[in-house]
Amino acid sequence: MPQIITEQNLRNLIDLLVKEAKLVVGPKLSGSVVLYEPLTAGSDLTLDALPRRSSKELFFPICEDILSYKRENGAMKVNDVDRSKFPEAVLIGAPPCDAGSPAILDAVMSWDYKDEFYLERRRKSTIVGIACTKGDDACFCRAVGLAPDAEAGSDLFLTPLKDGSYACNAVTEKGQALVAAHQNLFSEGAGAEPKPFVDQAVAKLDLVKIKKWLEEHFEDPLWEKIADICVGCGACAFICPACHCFDINDEGSTDDGVRRKHWDACGFAKFTNHASGHNPRDVQNKRYRNRIMHKFKYYDDKFGKTLCTGCGRCIRACPVGIDIAEILETINTKQD
Amino acid sequence: MNAKANKNQVTCIEPDYYQAITEAIRKEAVKILKDETVVGVVGYLPGRRKGTASPALVTTVEEAEKLIFSPACVNNLSVYLTKAKKGVLKQGKVGIVAKGCDMRALAGLMTESQLQREDLFIIGVVCPGVYGFGVERTGTLTEANIARKCRECTVHMPEGADVAAGTHAELADLTPEEAQEMARIEAMPQAERWAFWKEHFSRCIRCMACRQVCPFCYCEQCLCDKNRPQAVESSPRPAGNMAWHLVRAMHLAGRCGGCAECERVCPMDIPLNLLNRRMAQELKELYDFEAGLTPVDKGPLNQYKEDDDQSFIK
Repeated sequence: MPQIITEQNLRNLIDLLVKEAKLVVGPKLSGSVVLYEPLTAGSDLTLDALPRRSSKELFFPICEDILSYKRENGAMKVNDVDRSKFPEAVLIGAPPCDAGSPAILDAVMSWDYKDEFYLERRRKSTIVGIACTKGDDACFCRAVGLAPDAEAGSDLFLTPLKDGSYACNAVTEKGQALVAAHQNLFSEGAGAEPKPFVDQAVAKLDLVKIKKWLEEHFEDPLWEKIADICVGCGACAFICPACHCFDINDEGSTDDGVRRKHWDACGFAKFTNHASGHNPRDVQNKRYRNRIMHKFKYYDDKFGKTLCTGCGRCIRACPVGIDIAEILETINTKQD
Repeated sequence: MNAKANKNQVTCIEPDYYQAITEAIRKEAVKILKDETVVGVVGYLPGRRKGTASPALVTTVEEAEKLIFSPACVNNLSVYLTKAKKGVLKQGKVGIVAKGCDMRALAGLMTESQLQREDLFIIGVVCPGVYGFGVERTGTLTEANIARKCRECTVHMPEGADVAAGTHAELADLTPEEAQEMARIEAMPQAERWAFWKEHFSRCIRCMACRQVCPFCYCEQCLCDKNRPQAVESSPRPAGNMAWHLVRAMHLAGRCGGCAECERVCPMDIPLNLLNRRMAQELKELYDFEAGLTPVDKGPLNQYKEDDDQSFIK
């Protein structure tokens, strides 16, 4: 028998979690845009729109201090960040295209180098995903193997029902623990009919075939054709749930400063610029090629996963209308 | 041609109007490619999604026959002629589809010796307006979905183009939302105005989309990319964000033609054109100068005159 939670109780749950001093993050209206932000009350939760940026920033913030340094009495003192102080967190209201991203990123973050900033936040967080009943013509999660009701990455998964309540499935032990600790907010029952999902414009893609084509077409006229118009900003990468490149900068003075880790993007001309002045990705279409290669070939080679959840954010945000779903469809239909 | 005298104000712009412009652009683009007047044409192609279009660098007649103009043709294509996009176009004379607002950028780039008029074949568009961001992208352009910049457009006619596509039509009685917003911010006490911008800049993620689409951000070394020494904090934090946007507004003063591309592309909805427009107002008041109306020898901030106002030197 599935567990049911009413919308009011979902908001009550957020109130309780906030009282328990947990960091509760969910979609919230911030100015004119919906973003994943700390919720101060259940009434903050906004489930009408896909947040403009993905939820990756809960684990991989836009910018974070990784150490600070100060010269005192002639000696340099370095202070590490005390990661044990990272709060217990609950991400709530993330659709599968966002909830699914940590499950993809864990592989690279815990590979040869363990990114303890990311991993500590992952250990301390519970993800409450929600089936997506919205969507527009930029959405293509089904095309890359996810779905509006995909539970991958979620600890607890909610399915919106026609009567406004949610069916809950505790996918992991973390999810079971969250329900168990607040059992009075959940009830057992069959529940109403689930709300229907929105049809998607992009058909399922053959990712194996696409990867094979990419393997054989590092050099191909397609790259110039689709990517010469790219203006080289980082909008696509920054709002992407799966892009995870970062830069590290020391900011401050030589005597007193902070080392910061912050988002970077392969679309930037400086991304691969060597100290010598040589840039192996010297033109924009090579940079854009890397974006596609990393998502649909390199990451799969290394970790057996596709680095894209089909959220469509890059399609909506691209200043020049580059449409990754259209590009994948083009590659998918290629005969050689 | 006097645009005011030919005003044809309507309540909505039907797709037929854009179709006629499309036909005219295709005809002209095919002609100049065929007779080798140009090596390529920068125009628009339709996107996969309804109501979208993308910039396109077209070099063949087949491609030129697919060019379009619709309310989705929001981009200022002049960015493709700048140093920042060096190498994208073959050497030689280039055709470009330009709305009135885009023409201002072309004039500005000529002023700054980035372009030579004789290297361009300008297919001007008599543009009634384009879609705003996050609005219904249906066939008809109305008050409800027109871009904010188009509400106060003074350059429907592409003056100085080689050919003009379209006949004049514009939407009647549009509320000047941006001017109203300017007045609202201007009326704020200074602390409140500071808070307004701080709040907006706090959302900035430093994706640099504003810089990358800007025809005037063609510097080969951007100040904000410098890290030895660092001029502006490159990490996306409130102080560096504020510094970056103020530096950019200053650098665009007397240059920005008001295409508002920076504001359109901002994924965080920061109303950047308000800053540019405020700087343009300063230039108008101080030097009676408006950027990009026609190419000039030098902008007011690029020259010294004995009788310049020096009252700001204390």
